[in-house]
Amino acid sequence: MFVYEKKLQYPVRIKNCNPRLASVIISQYGGPDGELGASLRYLSQRYAMPYPELKGLLTDIGTEELGHLEMVGTLVHQLTRNLNEEQIKTAGFDTYFVDHTTGVYPQFASGYPWSASTMQVTGDIIADLTEDLAADGAMA
Amino acid sequence: MNPDTGTTTRPCGDACGTMPPCAPLAVPYVPFQQEGSQKYDQTNTLANGTMFPGLNLPFHLKVDAASLPANRSTQLQALLFVITELGLYLDTHRNDAEAFQLFQQYSEMARNAKKQYEEAHGPLTQLSAGQDAAYRWLDDPWPWEFEKNEGE
Repeated sequence: MFVYEKKLQYPVRIKNCNPRLASVIISQYGGPDGELGASLRYLSQRYAMPYPELKGLLTDIGTEELGHLEMVGTLVHQLTRNLNEEQIKTAGFDTYFVDHTTGVYPQFASGYPWSASTMQVTGDIIADLTEDLAADGAMA
Repeated sequence: MNPDTGTTTRPCGDACGTMPPCAPLAVPYVPFQQEGSQKYDQTNTLANGTMFPGLNLPFHLKVDAASLPANRSTQLQALLFVITELGLYLDTHRNDAEAFQLFQQYSEMARNAKKQYEEAHGPLTQLSAGQDAAYRWLDDPWPWEFEKNEGE
């Protein structure tokens, strides 16, 4: 099971809001190569894994990705605090705001909602690990 | 121990790893990180996002690590990030006695740092919330909250 630890993995302290930046960073939260997909990819692929080293690795990386998800959510939250009317109308953020206001919603930068179609769990460990390489290469 | 060669020698440079001499076709490979790889201390581990200089591949030629404020919170984050990093390394190098010894040392330091952090800032987990005289789990700030000018 998972136990919440009330801290971020790395400090996030943003002083100045920037809704335009938030509308791009949201893709790292719920985009095709974002942290939500990363954590679900590793944590779902591990059931097919026969090797103890890799059962551990998929569990531990998937868990760390949940910590990354929290950091990226924090980035988006802090970038969109206390916006004035002009800032809400920022090109790129206005279309996000109309649906989600300043809530943190897992979506692509394009606005498409997070989708399990961006990841794969084949039950074939070589195929899964190869997919992990491509996905983690894309998200860095 | 290197699973490919059964040796503890380091045939490759620190930023390189071993590969199987004969490998099945049509399967991609990732070089295997060697035992005894160079390591950063905890502050530089957190600032660089990896414990291992050989795995530090900054994108867009950004070579300077971030500078972090030295406070109780970042000290704890640094120690726990080392636990994460060394833990991942040990998942695939569990017979590296030197790395495990380091893991034990950092684990002790992290436990102490957690205790000190909780005494100053309140519980990190619900389990430790039970050790306080009152229920402090709900105390602000939550991790995503940071007020302008906070801590300045």
